[in-house]
Amino acid sequence: MATGLSAIFMANRAALLRFLRARGAGDDAEDLLQDMWMKLEAKDLGPVSDPLPYLYRMANNLMLDRYRSSSRRERREQDWAEGAGGVMADPTEDIAVDERIILNQRLDEARGVLRRLGPRVELVFRRFRIEGVGQKVIAEELGVSLTTVEKDLQKAYRAMIALKQKLDTE
Amino acid sequence: MVNEEALAWVIRTRDPRFDDWEAFTIWLEGDPARAQAYDALMAQDAELDAIIPPDPVAMPVAANDVAPTRRQAWRWAAGGAIAAALVATVSIGMMNRADIYSVSTRPGETRRIALDDGTTIELNGDTRLRLDRKDLRFAALDRGEAAFTVRHDAGDPFRVSVGDAVFEDAGTVFNIVHTDKATRIGVSEGKVIYNPEAEAIALPAGRALADDADGLRVMDVAPAAVASWREGRLVYANAAIGDISQDIGRSLGIRVTATPGAQAMRFTGTIRLDRDPARFFAGAAPLMGLSAVRQGDAWVLKQGSTKEGNAPQS
Repeated sequence: MATGLSAIFMANRAALLRFLRARGAGDDAEDLLQDMWMKLEAKDLGPVSDPLPYLYRMANNLMLDRYRSSSRRERREQDWAEGAGGVMADPTEDIAVDERIILNQRLDEARGVLRRLGPRVELVFRRFRIEGVGQKVIAEELGVSLTTVEKDLQKAYRAMIALKQKLDTE
Repeated sequence: MVNEEALAWVIRTRDPRFDDWEAFTIWLEGDPARAQAYDALMAQDAELDAIIPPDPVAMPVAANDVAPTRRQAWRWAAGGAIAAALVATVSIGMMNRADIYSVSTRPGETRRIALDDGTTIELNGDTRLRLDRKDLRFAALDRGEAAFTVRHDAGDPFRVSVGDAVFEDAGTVFNIVHTDKATRIGVSEGKVIYNPEAEAIALPAGRALADDADGLRVMDVAPAAVASWREGRLVYANAAIGDISQDIGRSLGIRVTATPGAQAMRFTGTIRLDRDPARFFAGAAPLMGLSAVRQGDAWVLKQGSTKEGNAPQS
């Protein structure tokens, strides 16, 4: 299959390899690149509007998946070591009522954090993070500069990640 | 403490329009610890989904009743012209006439209806639609999901009534889901006016509207994702797992529920439908970061994908 995407891949192979190495792939960078190639060959993706950014994003997602699965494995091994594997838990058991209450409390807390940031920051964050709208579009919609949107997002992210870390240690 | 530089790159690379991957590469090459900081923050970002509360947007009672606030202004202004012309009210009385007939599908069954005016309606599984022999420009979706490809006539707009709401086409391909808890519409071509006589919200292609427990909301949707069930796949951008489980149930003709923990999660991506539920969930559940457990004739979606547990041997 010689689509445009495969051709772009071949032409930018070196740059993508360099990116994967910089992303921390180390000796696996070549293998990951091969995985990407196989995926491109297997899927008939049709025309992609921005092929090179698309390929970079694909590579970045591969690395994110790798990070996620390795941290999940670490957590599992840790659970095993602590004897808290939950192996005996009934797989059909529904989430417990108290867990549900905690979930709702967390949502309320997050709602409070977002409110305190002010309406514009909350709006920008929701539009970007939940609805997946780009910063440039948000800036145009609100009639503010791109820098303002960037600063709003950093403010919202800092607050939300701080909340996340606090909830995780509770 | 948050690594500010890494956070800036998280935000930059999360932008759908981001394209400066070379600058990102150069930043990463500066120090191997940077890639780790970026990965850790991206993982935290992904987990934010579970704690971001939904955003109910209070709607004005009537379009000319309330001066739009700044918030409404940006939300609705992009929709373009608000429908000026009022259409005839759909009276409850006409629902009982002999000209009204209903078309239903069983769970898992799909059906295509071609109306004489050139409009086609495709019904997904477990759906009931009422049509009027005397008025080809009317349909009522009582339950389920239907995709409408409407032949547009500005003088005689096509109207779909869903519960208490009315959707009026303005040259359109759109998809409506109606359950006892929610109504959702996505527009892939043209434009639809929601409740032309009340809120009169214009939904151009690429916009979706949801009316559920969280209130009335308008959001973006990929036009190609609208009514993708017709091609045997379900396409989502940040959709609630609760909605997705209903879509799966309707499309495969099975009962699917989600635990509250799973319901609070969101998914972006494409799921390929498969008639065999065990095979379907073996592929689809891990994709959504979930596991699926068979319970009698139903399937339960739970948080966390466990590679070992998602293909029951029953």
